[in-house]
Formats: sequence, C-alpha cells, structure tokens
Amino acid sequence: MKLLTEQSKFNKILTLVVVLILLALPLFISNPTVLQILILIIFYAYLTSCWNFVGGFAGVLPLGHSAFVGIGAYVSTSLYLTWGLSPWIGMLAGGVIAALMGILIGLPTLKLRGAYFALATIAFGEAMRVLVENIEHIGPFPVRGPKGLLIDLAGNSFAHFQFTSKVPYYYIILIMLLIVLLITFIMMNSKVGYYLAAGGEEPDAAAALGIKVSKYKLIAMAISCFLTALGGTFYAQMFLYFYPKSILGLDLSYEIAFIALIGGRGTILGPVIGALLLRPVGDLTRIYLSDTLPGLHLIIFGLILVIVMRYQPKGLVLPLSRLLARINNRFTKKSGEEQQEEVCNGAFDSK
Amino acid sequence: MLIGYIESLLNGILMGSIYGLTAVGLTLIFGVMKVVNFAHGSILMVGMFAAYFFVALTGLNPYLALVVVVPLLFVFGYAMQKFIIKPIFVAEKDVREPITVIIVTTGIWYILDNLALMLFGAEFRVAKTSVTGKMLEVFDMYFLWPKIIGAVITLLLGLYLFWFLRHSRMGKAVRATSLDREAATLMGIKQNRIYNIVFGLGCACCGVAACVLVPFYYVYPTVGVPFDIKAFIIVVLGGLGSVPGAILGGILIGIIETLGAQFMAATWTEMLIYVFFLLVLFIKPAGLFGLKQDY
Amino acid sequence: MALLTVSKVIKQFGGLTAVNSVDLSVDKGQIVGVIGPNGAGKTTLFNCIAGAFPPTSGSIMFNGHEMAGKKPHEICKLGITRTFQVVKPFASKTVLYNTMVGAFANTNKLSEARTKAIEVLKILDLYDKRDVVSKSLTLPERKRLELARALATEPHLLLLDEVMAGLRPSEVTEMLPVIKKINEVGVSIIIVEHIMQAIMNLSDKVYVINFGKKIAEGDPHDVINNEEVIKAYLGEAYVANQH
Repeated sequence: MKLLTEQSKFNKILTLVVVLILLALPLFISNPTVLQILILIIFYAYLTSCWNFVGGFAGVLPLGHSAFVGIGAYVSTSLYLTWGLSPWIGMLAGGVIAALMGILIGLPTLKLRGAYFALATIAFGEAMRVLVENIEHIGPFPVRGPKGLLIDLAGNSFAHFQFTSKVPYYYIILIMLLIVLLITFIMMNSKVGYYLAAGGEEPDAAAALGIKVSKYKLIAMAISCFLTALGGTFYAQMFLYFYPKSILGLDLSYEIAFIALIGGRGTILGPVIGALLLRPVGDLTRIYLSDTLPGLHLIIFGLILVIVMRYQPKGLVLPLSRLLARINNRFTKKSGEEQQEEVCNGAFDSK
Repeated sequence: MLIGYIESLLNGILMGSIYGLTAVGLTLIFGVMKVVNFAHGSILMVGMFAAYFFVALTGLNPYLALVVVVPLLFVFGYAMQKFIIKPIFVAEKDVREPITVIIVTTGIWYILDNLALMLFGAEFRVAKTSVTGKMLEVFDMYFLWPKIIGAVITLLLGLYLFWFLRHSRMGKAVRATSLDREAATLMGIKQNRIYNIVFGLGCACCGVAACVLVPFYYVYPTVGVPFDIKAFIIVVLGGLGSVPGAILGGILIGIIETLGAQFMAATWTEMLIYVFFLLVLFIKPAGLFGLKQDY
Repeated sequence: MALLTVSKVIKQFGGLTAVNSVDLSVDKGQIVGVIGPNGAGKTTLFNCIAGAFPPTSGSIMFNGHEMAGKKPHEICKLGITRTFQVVKPFASKTVLYNTMVGAFANTNKLSEARTKAIEVLKILDLYDKRDVVSKSLTLPERKRLELARALATEPHLLLLDEVMAGLRPSEVTEMLPVIKKINEVGVSIIIVEHIMQAIMNLSDKVYVINFGKKIAEGDPHDVINNEEVIKAYLGEAYVANQH
C-alpha cells in the first residue's frame, strides 16, 4: 500500500486540484436547488464512506445502517427540543449512542457469516424503524412516532446549527466527508486496517497470526456507527424535519450499501464515486420522469446494480483507477514495467 | 374470550402455513445453492399478478391458475438462474463471501417491482373469485375458506416435496448436490442443471403460493415485500433446505403474528417477529431443523 | 526445562477418541517431527496445540503458560504460530502486505512492521517478489510466504502442518534448507509430515502416532527401524530406498 508520501506526484496534484475545486464551487453556483443537489451527493458520499468501514473493511454486508443515521437525528433533535442543547453537542451524543448501539448489535452478529449477517442487520434496522414508529416519547424526549420531529426555525445561527443560506451546509458536509476520507486513509495504513483486511479475507489465518478478528470488527463497527450518526444530525439540521420512513428503514439502508458496492467497497474513493454516479442519475430521473413513468429511477438503479455486479463485482473504482493510471502515465514518463504494474494495481486501490 | 384466542391461534396456523408455502421455495434455493434470492418476493408478486389476470380474463376458478402460473414461474426461475445468477456465481468463485448474488437479486427485485408499478399502476386489486370472502363458521369462530384451502394445498405440496426429495431420482440428486457439490458432480450429476431446476422449482413454489393468495389477498406491485422478509426469517428459523422446517417455521410466525395482535397493536407484532428472529440467529443459527454446518 | 510439554492430552469427538493420552516435548532450538499413518490423530494433536479446539483433557505447558483451551490468537501472542496445510494467503494483497500482517503481532507502528517484514522476506528469499499480489505466486512461493508470515510474528515455536504437501520432490528438496534457516534463527519447530525425506532431514527427534497413541519416540534413524513403526506405517518405501 502506498503511503501518502509515496503517491505519485500526479495523484497528489490531482487530489489537491479536486479539493480546491470543491472548496471553491459555491462561489460559482448561486442556484440553491443545484447547491442542494450537490449537498445531497456529498451527504450520500459521506454516509457510504462511513458504511465502508464495516461493509468494506470488515468484510461483511450490513443492510441496516440507516438505523444509525436515525439514531443521530433523533438523539440530537430530541435533546435540542427538550433541553435546547446545541445540535453540535447533540451530534456528538448521538454519535456515542450510535457507537454503543453498534457494538451491542455487533457483538452477536459479527460472528455470523455472509447472508446471515445481512439478514440480522435487516432485522435490526427494521426493528429500529418499527420501534420508533410506535413510540411517542422516551422519558422526556419526544419521538412522535410516524409523525416525525420538526425543528423550529432559528434563523442564521451557528450555535443552533441552522443557516439561512445553503452554503454553510455545503462546507460542513464537505469537511465532514474529507475528514472521513482522511480517517479511512489513515486507518488503511495502520495496524487496524491491516488486521481488518486480514480478518475479512482469511479469518483462520488471521487468528493464527495473533489477530482477535472480532475485536477489530467491533472497532470498525463503532467508528462507522459514530460517524454515520453525525450524518443523521446533519440531515436533521439541513431539512429541519424528518420522520421514520425518511431517515430509517430499508430504502436508505439499501441505497447506502449499494452505492458503496457499485462504487467499490473497501477502497477510499469507491463510495464517493458511487455517490457521484448514482445520485445524479436517481435525482434526474426522479425529477423529470417520475410523473410519466413512476419508479423508473428505481428500475434504472436496479439495472445498474445487475449490470455492474455482473461485470465489475469489485466496483467501478477499479476500471476508473486503471483509466486514471493510464492518464497519469501520459504525464510522467515511466518504464514499461512500472506502467504495467500501476495499471494492474490501480492508483487508488486499497492494496 | 378463550374462543377469541383459539380463533387467533387457528388463523395464525392457517396464514402461517401459507407463509410457509412462500418460504418453501426459498429454503430450497437457499439450502441447496446457498443463494440468497432477495427477488423472491417480487417473483411471488409476478405470480400473483399472473394469477390475478388469469382470473380476471378467464373468470375461471383461481386454483386452475396453478396450471398456468406454476410452469410460468418455473421457466422464469430456470432462466433467471441460468442467465443471471450462474455467471455471477462463476465470476465470484474465489471471493470469500459471495454477496454479489444478494445485490444482483436486489436489483432484480427493484426492476420487477417498479416495472409492475409502471405497467399496472399502484392500485390495490382484488380478484373476484368463487371463493373470495366465503367463511367457514365453527363454534362462533370464523375462517376464510381461501385460507383453509391454502393451508391444505401447503400441506399437500409439503408432502409432495418431502417425498420428491427423499425418494425420487431427481430429488436425491438435489440433496446430494446440496450436501457436497463436488462429490455429486463426480457421481455424474450435472451441477448446473440441478441448480437451474432447483431455482425453477423454488419459483414454482412461489407460483403455488401466488395462486393460493390471490383469492383473499390484495394484489399490488410491492406486495412481495412483506412476504420476502418473512420468508427469509422463516427459512432461517426452520433451517436451511428443510421443507418441513419452512412450513413449521411459517406456522410459528403466523401464530406469533395473530396471537401477538391479541395483546398489542399489529405494528408491534412486526417488531416481535424481528426480535424473535434475532434471538434465533444468536442462539441457534442452524434453525429448528437445520444441519449444524451451513453458511 | 522443555519449551513445550504436552502431557496426557486426550481428544474425544463424541464416542471417538482421536488422541489417546499423548506425551510430547520440545526443547528450545529443536525440530521435532510428528509422523503416523493417515487418521492416526497427529493432525488432531496438532490442532489441540494450535488452539483450533481444546483438548478433552491433559495439559499443554509452554514457557510456563498453560495453553490448553486457549484461542489461536492468544496462543500466537504467547509465542506459538502455526501454518496451514492448505495455505491461506491474503490473496488480494501483496507478499509484503501479507508479511506485515504477521509483523504487526509485535508492534503497532507501520514502519516497524514493514522493516521486520522486509527482514523476514529476505531470509525466505521472497524480497524480490514483495510487491507481487499473493494470488499470483506459485505453490512453493506461497508456502514460503506462509512461512514468512508466521516468522514475522517472531514465534518461539513454529507449528508446521504438512508444509510439504503438494510439492514436487525437487521443490521439497528446495524447501528443506529454508526450514533449517528458520530454525537457525532460533525458532523451535514441530513439523507434522507425511514426506519422510523431510522428517529424516530436519528432525532432531521424532514421535510416531498411531490410533491416537504414541508408539515410538526418539532419534529419527532409530524410530524408523522400530518394528512397531514399520508395522504401523508404510515406511517400507523409504527403507527400500536406502538400499
């Protein structure tokens, strides 16, 4: 695995340029709808990158992750509505609770294999949704069942985590995404990352090398759930209203998982690429075609799932990074062998 | 009041056996091929629409639809396995946890459900058949005739499959393949053909369930969804690949549902089922009748 | 004081007694061979020591610790590392990555793990292939990788489970000095094997297991001339080879 310092100059420059463009984008876009679409793309890239810790690095298929998005939203919002606690602090509280919940549910389930684990996460996610839909309040904290929670407008206030313009939201989620990607990168190049990769690929061999696989999977789970919950709070503060079906439930869980899978789980940029490709497709079909052809965006989504999994089961990041490596080599002169190696290993892979 | 509980219990058994019917196909597919088919509910939906239109267009007895729907779904399943699932299986041969199939079948589910939505619209349809709405009254307890017929058909199908797997040549081949693929191949059993047939068989069972449901259940594009999850829960409960396990598991779920509704709001019974399922997974993942080693 | 002392270990599976009160010891720096006909119980014994499952009864003392019943990762942390008969490389990762996973057993730092891994790869002559994805390796190379990975954990005792399995005779001959080198670095070894050439060449001491019981113990040459052993085990091919 190439360390940051070892990445080729081209990659480093490319990354810098992309980040700068992303940071400067709001200066050029004044249309709030477009900005919102961008925010949502980054939001989903964020959620899928968080999912990636478990679904990519721990090597299992969690299909109930929306539960943690919901925990984040409900915890921070309930605290805000009951005690006026700043959503920033509530965000952290939500993260901690989500992490604890994740560890609790991870303890018995991470031992299960393949489909059993997936089914367990579905059951957990759905149980969460049904629970929330049927409760009015937990102690003094409002939950309001299927009606959801509504946050009163507080104008432009950082302490209240509300802004009149969409631009601050854009920067917040962008920074959150960049932080998660950084954490992912650091983790991949650390003992935790190596151990997770080993445990995911050959658990028996990993154990024989001194790795307590379950411990590391739980660490990944805790990190993932904590970060995912932060996203839930962001959503709540951005839209000021949410209800069980919007923030919990299978649709969101599946969407998160599948975006990551199509992009390429277990890689840094896979989930981001997935979100970048799929969200716009989904949004555009939904906006323009859902009246005449309801459900078309889901048909397209389904087709993409089937086709990508059939031909590129490791995700689209692989062919894309090969393409990038080829462009890279046009800019720098490399020996034929080095070119071959980079093309095979890919520039942004987890290897 | 006791009558109320008994009525609930019996209704739970009836509906539960029909749940079991939907799960039987899945347990064969999951058990023999270790394939998680998330499109199972959608295939049921396809069968239900087929049966609905059969009745609507011909006005014939819905149980005659079996003749049309079952072969239709068998072919559908056979084709799906041959052209979509198998190539992915092959591509995933060296991957540790072949979850790609889960994703692909989910894609198929999205496609089927929304295609149905586009073609038929979202409205809930009810088939008008000769048995729709008819009740049997016993000691102040009321049971829908279609449910009773459904339960009986489930039993018959269950017995047939049990016999088939135990005593027929094809059935033995299927069991051999599920126990040890390589050894079965060495015995001259064509693995791919078995897989195609099993998948077809699994879908055909959905077809039976579809015909049984249409006389009393609403038909709409996403009707497969609640059945899908329940079917998986039942399959795990009953043990992978076990036909009696699927039926008994279904009955168990049916009872939890109806008896639970006596004590709590119907929405809470959903949660009860999920919690029960999680407990089974943690305590005895092989299920009630499953073999020790599975996935 | 022996490094490893296995005392009266019994392993039963239901009604079947696979290992019937076996005693075994390994001194520091020794290579101990364990042989026996198929189904004799040597792999079961191996797995008890490696922690794949606990013995039904008996004790496995290593460096003053009771190992019986401990889990594989705990056993590795205490100084015993095992390899697998059917090698299990982390197929999608490079040779270096694989070895570093082993090296992390004794450090938390990436740079230290990498240094250790490179050192080990040089010993096992895999340094040139360090950036090759392990699924592209040949079988002997994979076996060496398995050894490298294990060696990177800095074990006191290495358990080799039929490490020669699947190798051609020429490849077996090439593997022998590799194992000797590991031993020279200070690692004691238990080697369970079918291939007599390896056992005879490497072992300081040999145990013979049949029907779960130890039927002979001692110097390799003495053991193979033991009548019990010849009776139980088709060593005739090797003995015939001597003439």
